[in-house]
Amino acid sequence: MEPNLATYLGLSGILFTIGCVGVVFKRNALGMFMCIELMLNAVNLTFVAFSRYYADVHGQLFVFMVMSVAAAEAAVGLGIFIAFFRNRQSIDVDTASILKN
Amino acid sequence: MSNFLLAQLTTPNADVTLILPEIVVALAGIVVMLYDSFFPKQKAVSGAIGMLGILISAVLLVLMWGDSYSGTAWSGMIAHDNLRLSFGLVFLMIAAMTILASTLWVEIEGVPTGEFHALLLFATFGMMMMAAGNDLVVIFLGLETSSIATYVMAGLRKGDLRSNESALKYFVLGSFASAFLLYGMALVYGATGTTNIPLIAASVGAAKFPALLLIGSAMMIVGFGFKVALAPFHVWTPDVYEGAPAPITGFMAAGPKAAAFSSFLRVFVLGFPLVAGAQAAGILHETWISLLAVLGIITILFGNVAAILQNNIKRMLAYSSIAHAGYATVGFVGAGLAKTAAERNEAIAAVAFYLFVYAITNLGAFAIVSLLGQRNDRRADFEDYNGIGFKAPLLSFSLSVFMLSLLGMPLTAGFIGKVLVFRPALESGNVLLVTLVVVAVIGSAISAYYYLRLLVVMFFRERAVDWTPPRVPSALMTAIAAAVVAVLYFGLFSDGLIRRFSTAAPKAADVRAER
Repeated sequence: MEPNLATYLGLSGILFTIGCVGVVFKRNALGMFMCIELMLNAVNLTFVAFSRYYADVHGQLFVFMVMSVAAAEAAVGLGIFIAFFRNRQSIDVDTASILKN
Repeated sequence: MSNFLLAQLTTPNADVTLILPEIVVALAGIVVMLYDSFFPKQKAVSGAIGMLGILISAVLLVLMWGDSYSGTAWSGMIAHDNLRLSFGLVFLMIAAMTILASTLWVEIEGVPTGEFHALLLFATFGMMMMAAGNDLVVIFLGLETSSIATYVMAGLRKGDLRSNESALKYFVLGSFASAFLLYGMALVYGATGTTNIPLIAASVGAAKFPALLLIGSAMMIVGFGFKVALAPFHVWTPDVYEGAPAPITGFMAAGPKAAAFSSFLRVFVLGFPLVAGAQAAGILHETWISLLAVLGIITILFGNVAAILQNNIKRMLAYSSIAHAGYATVGFVGAGLAKTAAERNEAIAAVAFYLFVYAITNLGAFAIVSLLGQRNDRRADFEDYNGIGFKAPLLSFSLSVFMLSLLGMPLTAGFIGKVLVFRPALESGNVLLVTLVVVAVIGSAISAYYYLRLLVVMFFRERAVDWTPPRVPSALMTAIAAAVVAVLYFGLFSDGLIRRFSTAAPKAADVRAER
């Protein structure tokens, strides 16, 4: 079967859902972050698919922006995780529970 | 399309003067960063550079008001309208107040001052780009610039467990929300074939995939809902606000929230309008209006009821900020239903004014909370405020003024703000919107309990332990005094500012990208 727009959209929808479910159920902050990256890549796939469909470069340009932002986010995120790990010897989000009602 | 790109490359439409206010703020951030790396011991200079940058930027922004420039710059990427100018002014005010209010905190906590001020300026730059962005790409980049800087600021107290936890939660949930927003943007791009907001508005009626447009806009509501903390997407707010250092919390509750509202308004009110005779656009318009109205009702009720139960002032103010996001939503929905461009601009100006007043009040309150909280904000419970009323009369009086303004007492700016945002929704005559306004009024009545509780605690409770009022540095005093004066002044004479907010540049918001 020749892949068409619907195939790519379906794949990106599945990837996004996997990422979303992963963020909700993972307890390890790094794992959650990887799932967020998966969601961003699903978005990139959607952009590229539509970009090709409309023969319009704006979608691909958007993907560049998303990638660079994801890189910046990763740099800051890992810094935050390390600061958290230093004080707690764990990056399990369940240990982050000082702030509660 | 390639011809279009070629034309753009040979004659680039890059009008630097139109984004000068933003550039000045970013430049100030870079200068602060460089200065700090050469003189790391400094405490006040980076703040002064930041204030100077903010001042120049504000002057440039005011000069742009009503200038003869019409059209959009940067190939339709940057808008030039009242939404951008008025929100830009709000962000600059927020940044200036935060720098002033954090002077003492920077001193006693040993925070890397230059880093903090640079991050603050970059966050402000991002927020201004969010308001100026006329294209989903620019809005996304502005949002991320401000968010990433704010994630770091929430965790500036590296050794403190609560600050770490706050940064971690803010980061994970913030990027989760960004992913939703981005997926929404991708689907809207897919449905309309463009990322330019005026072009989206022109093509929603004839969208190629109307279903994707609906799903995409719903995803964007989730993403923006997270950022402005609408219930049920508010879960991160109380924890993050409580754990972050108080001056930063004040900034987060005012700045990124107002910025998210500015792009939220632009994408939905200007990007998804009601197009006569187009069924898809009609369904989209009705859906987002009713969805937001319902979210507003939940937010107002939840925020106010949960705020009653809090014993920590920072947490109480966090829930109150959720409720205030709900009140701002009332004006937002009113802007969405406005029939003429003038009415729409008025409603947008009302939301900008409301967030302006909320920001001033909130930053003033957090300045006092951080002053009284001492190191690590340890003293931030209601009991810590017992009986301080007559021992530190000026501080308690200022805090009372802020609480009354948050409550929406007549003669304070908070009252005018509420009247302004409720009016467009009431005038629309839509049943759901009238319900929303009624709920908002009930919510305000509920909020009297927890705002007045602080006044009662301060003035009518006995203090068991000895307490000496803290020394108030002059910068902090300036910030608090400015906030009190602004709250009282705009409570009486708000006409000028509102008129300015509602009538800005020529051809407001209706400029089409030239392609």
